[in-house]
Amino acid sequence: MGFDQFLSSPEMEILIITHRDIFQSAANSDSRFSDDYANLTAIIRLDKQDMKKAGLKEGNLVTIENSAGKVVVKALQSTYEEPHPGTAYMVNGPWVNALVSAETSGTGVPAFKYIEAKMKKSKESSITSFE
Amino acid sequence: MEREYHVCTGCALLCDDIELREEENKTIIDSACRKGVAWIKNCQHPLECTVDAKDATSQDAIEKAAEILKSAKNPLIFGMGNSSLKAQEKAIELAKKSNACIDDTSSFCQGPFVEAILNDKIKSCTLDEVRDKADVIVYWGCDPSNSHPRHLSKYSYFPRGRMRQRGWEEDRTAIAIDVRKSDTAIICEDNFYRIPPKADAEFARALTEALSGKVPKVTFGMKPKEILELANVLKKAEFGVIFAGLGLVYSMHDLSPMEDLLEALNKKTDFHLMPMVGQYNMRGFNHTLFDQTGYINRVSFDGEDIGHGPQYSVVEVLKEKRVDAALIIGSDPLSSLPGSIAANLKEIPTIVIDPCKTFTSQIANVTIPSAVTGVECKGEAIRMDGVKVELTQMRKSDKMADADIIEKIMEAI
Repeated sequence: MGFDQFLSSPEMEILIITHRDIFQSAANSDSRFSDDYANLTAIIRLDKQDMKKAGLKEGNLVTIENSAGKVVVKALQSTYEEPHPGTAYMVNGPWVNALVSAETSGTGVPAFKYIEAKMKKSKESSITSFE
Repeated sequence: MEREYHVCTGCALLCDDIELREEENKTIIDSACRKGVAWIKNCQHPLECTVDAKDATSQDAIEKAAEILKSAKNPLIFGMGNSSLKAQEKAIELAKKSNACIDDTSSFCQGPFVEAILNDKIKSCTLDEVRDKADVIVYWGCDPSNSHPRHLSKYSYFPRGRMRQRGWEEDRTAIAIDVRKSDTAIICEDNFYRIPPKADAEFARALTEALSGKVPKVTFGMKPKEILELANVLKKAEFGVIFAGLGLVYSMHDLSPMEDLLEALNKKTDFHLMPMVGQYNMRGFNHTLFDQTGYINRVSFDGEDIGHGPQYSVVEVLKEKRVDAALIIGSDPLSSLPGSIAANLKEIPTIVIDPCKTFTSQIANVTIPSAVTGVECKGEAIRMDGVKVELTQMRKSDKMADADIIEKIMEAI
């Protein structure tokens, strides 16, 4: 029993899997400095129950942190029909890459698609900027 | 009037049926996907020619770039996945002249599969063969509906190919193996096999066992019957193909589970593997460097012998701070590499050649705008299946081709 259960927005551990999105790819070509690109990239898609557990509403900002870095992105409910508690999805880009560990065991290949992190409702007023 | 077709360089599918027409003073791009159209039309923020964040002439920028590379002991040349074959050749020549490390994105994505194909360790095929012959198509750890939007419609699933006249309805079976139900997996309907992250090697071994007549076992709860049924579909293929995505590449320590699976399949039928290469000419860089050095990426020309290995990968040289300058061509490591590694670029003189502003160009000491090959200048490239393709010019531009910029930097050195 942890202290977290008494908080309205507890911190939770998540596994982030990255993927591609055609709309984000198009925005990436058009401008990496547009609201469109940020709106399609600085988002994390969570399981419905995980949203509830973390005390999140659609569009709330979350802080995601691990030993590699820390970012603030927007939380959205996943569109997948099947539940995927504990696993979240992010589109490939600088926000999720800020959380990818530099540890590679000398292979030259970071773990881009398997990112463990802690997430909680953010006190920040905007997403992390890379400009 | 004869119709004029262009090639889209938006991804490594290099779709060759793009048409342009003028309507009410607007250029309409026909046949390209959303990603292709965004690539072909002008970006919102074209790169400007600068030295130390101030406007400069191209001559000044080229001279400054040459000065940076000349005074560096061990520079890094990285990118080239969005460059023509000629530009790639020039970049390798420049790397030799400046004792540089040269690497591309294949270093941390599809490199292992391209290398295995070029060394004849894995049997591959062309996209045209897939369109005409493939009856069993496996999308493994990839989602072409998002990454290569016309893949299914132009080549792999929907077309009525020469030997597949009844199309996807009767002649083709599409299978998705993935950790999530992607847009491509939805198209595959009941042939979607969901596996946990990092379980790809285990699943490949289970399929190989099933093909050898053993009862396949996995630790993640999928029933042996389900795996046996899939193995049965694969072995009954007349012409099968596995499209390997980054989900598959990243989850395996080495390729042996896939090599074993393909060997087992090819004892019973005709099966191939093709890596889902992203950037339009990443494979071109791999072929060009391989022809010259025997290696597809991660090469160092610092010293009498050619160095090769993970220690020369873009990730390791930046992480270990073993390079003292960087030339980035058509790539944005500040967006695509782990943030803590890419941040080291801020500490060394960096040159960016790109058509558009990127996160990396924002921190570069020298930026030189280049033409988009296949849109603003012509060239040649190698498609994701290894086929060489001619790229035409779609519109006039006064920007230099990246091959010419690299040539001029070499002259200035």
